[in-house]
Amino acid sequence: MITTIKNKGAKPIKYKSVKASNRISLILSYTALTILAIIWMYPILWIILNAFRTEYNSSNQLIGIVVSHYFPKAVGLDNFKYLFTQTLFPRWFLNTLFVSSITFVLSTMLTLSVAYVMSKLKFKLRKTFLNIAIILGLFPGFMSMIAIYYILKALNLTQTLFALILVYSAGAGLGFYVAKGFFDIIPNSLIESSRLDGATNSQIFTKIVLPLSKPIIIYTALLAFIGPWMDFIFARVILGETNTHLHTVAVGLYYMMYGEYIDSNVFTTFAAGCVVVAIPIVTLFLLMQKYYIEGVTAGAVKG
Amino acid sequence: MYKENNADKKNRFLSALHNFYNRITRGFKGFINRFKDSSTPTKISHIIMGYGNIARRQIIKGLLFFLIEVSFLLIMIFSPEINSTPIGGKAIINFFTLGTEEGNIFTPTDNSMLMLLFGILTFGIIAMFYAVYITNIKSSYKADLDIRKGGHASTFKEDIASLLDERFHVAMLTPAIIGIVIFTLLPTIFMIFIAFTNFDSLHPAGQVLFDWVGLKNFTDIFSGQGEISVRFLPVLGWTLLWAFFATFTNYIGGILLALLINKKGVKYKKFWRTIFIITIALPQFISLLTMRKLLSEYGPINSFLVNSGIINSPIEFLANANNAWVARFTIITINIWIGIPFTMLMTSGILMNIPKDLYEAAQLDGATKKQAFFHITVPYILFITTPYLITSFIGNITNFNVIYLLTGGAPTVSGYIAGETDLLVTWLYKLTIDQSDYNIGSVVGILTFIITATATLLTYRRSKSYREEDAFQ
Amino acid sequence: MKKLFLLTALMFSIMIAAVGCGSSSPLTIWVGSESVDFYTNKMTEYVENYNATHEKEFPFEVAVKAVDTGTAASTFLDDSDAGADIFTVAHDNLGKLIAGSSSIAPVTDTALLAQIEADNPQTFLNVIKGTVDGTEYTFGVPYIAQSLILYYNKAYITPEQVQTWEGIWEAARNNNKQALSLTGTDGFNNSFLLLATQYDNHYTSLELYKDGIQENCFATGDDTIAKLKWGQRFFTDEFGAKAPTESGWEVELTDEISLSVIGGAWHFTAANAALGENLGIAPLPTFTLTEADAYGQAAAGTVYKSGTFADTKMFVMKKNSDKADYLQDILLFLSSKEVQEESFIAAQNLPAYKNASVEFDAFKEDTLEAKLATAQVDMFEWGIPQPFGYNSKFNTYYYSKGAPDLILDILENKDGEFSTDQAIYDQMLIVESLWKTGLRPE
Repeated sequence: MITTIKNKGAKPIKYKSVKASNRISLILSYTALTILAIIWMYPILWIILNAFRTEYNSSNQLIGIVVSHYFPKAVGLDNFKYLFTQTLFPRWFLNTLFVSSITFVLSTMLTLSVAYVMSKLKFKLRKTFLNIAIILGLFPGFMSMIAIYYILKALNLTQTLFALILVYSAGAGLGFYVAKGFFDIIPNSLIESSRLDGATNSQIFTKIVLPLSKPIIIYTALLAFIGPWMDFIFARVILGETNTHLHTVAVGLYYMMYGEYIDSNVFTTFAAGCVVVAIPIVTLFLLMQKYYIEGVTAGAVKG
Repeated sequence: MYKENNADKKNRFLSALHNFYNRITRGFKGFINRFKDSSTPTKISHIIMGYGNIARRQIIKGLLFFLIEVSFLLIMIFSPEINSTPIGGKAIINFFTLGTEEGNIFTPTDNSMLMLLFGILTFGIIAMFYAVYITNIKSSYKADLDIRKGGHASTFKEDIASLLDERFHVAMLTPAIIGIVIFTLLPTIFMIFIAFTNFDSLHPAGQVLFDWVGLKNFTDIFSGQGEISVRFLPVLGWTLLWAFFATFTNYIGGILLALLINKKGVKYKKFWRTIFIITIALPQFISLLTMRKLLSEYGPINSFLVNSGIINSPIEFLANANNAWVARFTIITINIWIGIPFTMLMTSGILMNIPKDLYEAAQLDGATKKQAFFHITVPYILFITTPYLITSFIGNITNFNVIYLLTGGAPTVSGYIAGETDLLVTWLYKLTIDQSDYNIGSVVGILTFIITATATLLTYRRSKSYREEDAFQ
Repeated sequence: MKKLFLLTALMFSIMIAAVGCGSSSPLTIWVGSESVDFYTNKMTEYVENYNATHEKEFPFEVAVKAVDTGTAASTFLDDSDAGADIFTVAHDNLGKLIAGSSSIAPVTDTALLAQIEADNPQTFLNVIKGTVDGTEYTFGVPYIAQSLILYYNKAYITPEQVQTWEGIWEAARNNNKQALSLTGTDGFNNSFLLLATQYDNHYTSLELYKDGIQENCFATGDDTIAKLKWGQRFFTDEFGAKAPTESGWEVELTDEISLSVIGGAWHFTAANAALGENLGIAPLPTFTLTEADAYGQAAAGTVYKSGTFADTKMFVMKKNSDKADYLQDILLFLSSKEVQEESFIAAQNLPAYKNASVEFDAFKEDTLEAKLATAQVDMFEWGIPQPFGYNSKFNTYYYSKGAPDLILDILENKDGEFSTDQAIYDQMLIVESLWKTGLRPE
């Protein structure tokens, strides 16, 4: 039955065929989404499956290499056992936890301070600082690694975790764009009225702006916390390749697969390590999804 | 828009030069005038820092300035040694000679690299001291003015209070600036200077001296022989090509995916989005190394293709020696897997925040869904995300992880370090960390900087003017 | 806000305090990862003996770390202050380490020098010495010998077949597999053709930095070209050798894509894991020129034995280490033949001691490890030590200027460009030029 509904001045819509074509397009959409989801999950599922794969060869040794079949023929927790007892993985995990806990506090403080100042305070050299920050940011990061290593050495800090914390936090002041974008949105009138009420700049920052900025604080803290878990370049240079007891998970796992000595047989152990590392990070991400989206959007809009 | 002709451009350049000259002379004049105008204690502060402050009972401040002057002079005169290399007055001489003591089997050689580094650090210390020196004079002078107006010189407590109020920006910025100067600015300057030396794998620091070679590394680019001259243009070409395709595919793909998820009638939007977010949450070195193994010749994908008869022998997706384009194509494809979720997230956020009144107004005007889509949604998204597109392009030029973890730059080009899929940054990394050819690495780094800086300047200008237009009707 | 400041200040003070209280650094020793446990035990033993025989206790803590011997030299040179007091390198790194004013210390203790002279074959004694500033010193203390041997799949290849490449090739053809996997594309593991010598008289025309002189390189002799022609047939055949893949040789062996691999003692664990009870070990096979391969003076029917680099791994000491007084005595202990024998039993490290195959019982057992040792010892007769220790440039010119890739191109007949003898000859001229100067010929 064809019914025509009249919209004010609009063309009459054929109701039934709209519904039918709607349904077809919906089915197509769901199919497309499912296919895409499978494609996206395929590698991730593979690594999880490999973490639990425990196949043995004729001499009763664990087959750790990359095999050609996707689904494992036997599952078990042997890889995790090996990971936690035979490698230094627990130590790496604690090292990384230590580094990220301190880094995210320092980084967040630095980033938010700079972002607020750039956004809301007027002072001489503001434009200069902005320009220098952009220019410095354009140099590839690891160009300066060898210099940083020797500066740390002069301070007698190399091959310690504190050095890593310093390096991660010290550069945080340059990554203020997204936070600045967020602070830009806070209306200046709010700040003006507080100033008329007699508040000092520091009071405005701590008592008025910060409480309003929960999303950006969480976003910045989240990124700063996750950073040390993912970085394998800087950590490798600063900690030194031989100090395996100091490594972070990223460096340790990276060396497992692509160190100087590739032992292909530890792939399943590597997969187990990846799963253990991924769980807290993915969980954090999902919990903070809302703030992350807001943060990214703010940055993109204003960036 | 009024287009400048050449005469105007010349005038602008000349007037900029003129302004610069004026500023310097003004600075000098101001300094001398201030000196003439200041009280005796302040005049003495020009030589004994902190005297003016102490004379006015700003004890803590005065002592601080004095201490800084003493430590600075001590460092410069006595040149203490760190790691057997002096910093201070001697470091300045060493900066120009880069070491003279060749050493032998029983005595150490001068460490040219540390001499360069400490020379730069000393210059940095001199610059910072100069800043403190001027601050010292200014603070004493300000006390002069305060007293002349009939008030008193500010007490320490008042100084702290002003740091939290009018000079809050100083308090907030100082820690960040110290960190940035020590860990980003000085290292970068150091690396720039390295490009003018011959510090490479044949001159290990502390074992063999190296020297200034001026522009030789840069002129070698045109010599036709050697790593940089042969590989620079190919690597640059691929870098730009990669940045373009990577950005473009992720951008379009992300928007399409966001639109798909956000479509009316699609349920469990959050569920679909979460699946793709997991890809971002996974650290890149895990997902990329996994992809690399997944695509290996006897891994699951190739085995599936061979066993089901689709192909006869495994395809070498990555590091394929016969055809570099296979590897390049694979990398771009995998990068889509990595990058689309990110763009999708951002677009979703934007889609959710499109002002509803735009749609209502359109409906009142009689637009269909399709027209609303193409005339409101799409332009809105494009407009908002254009800055992101630009920064993403520039960011992809320096995208290290994807290339390094997936192929390591392979397929290799015989005899050269840069491979077929190397970007400028991965090449830089290999030169510096793997080969210890620091000088060539620095040259590549500087060239990369020039390219990204040019790209930024060009696009920044256009985007700024773009944003200032209120063209969204 | 105040609390946050206090907290940060507290953290900083803890950091600085922790950093400030550094105890005196331990005496560090770097060895290959397969030997770490063994040498840790040995050093414990050494310290105990020291404490028992001296009044004062051994003043330093000893830390033994695993560092791949192939890269130990570069790792050390990156930051020599923080490097180990004693570390292990293959002898070809000597040139890099003693360039300029040297970053390693010479051996001066007479007892240690005497032990070195007594225990090591002449080929090793030639490569552990270097010249700094006009004077020659002994720098390295050999303790491991190594050469390349063949790991193969016993299930498909009989002991007769494994003696010749043709035999292995035939086994592969009959089973629809490939004969040989390569472990990599570098010039070390793929040297078996280049270094091959004539079976009956050990003749080869190849010269590689002969007598340590940079210009003494010759790669275009008739037999070299003939060997490469044979190699090209081997590599381009569908059942012959295969180029390295991303998956790696372990996967290729486990999945039985190919049947053998050329490797060293450091591949033993991986080969064992890959092949399990099918693992066989043999010296590198011979091959025979056919009519198609003959070239110039190299006639059809000539039998060649695959060659290898026969190297020593040696201990070296950091220059001006604050523990210098103790290092040489430690090396006297660690490089003694008794410890070398124990090292062989514990970690399959082939001893550098020249009479090991005669004196050590462990060599005579019927285990795979003993087979690994005897095969390597056999290959020593057919190999040369890497001649790159004389000058820091040789190592770079041989490995890093593209010569190995060019040779591999010939073997794989890349793009069909090397089907003619002249093409192979021209390519080898380029290789020769790279060895001599690091640059292609004008």
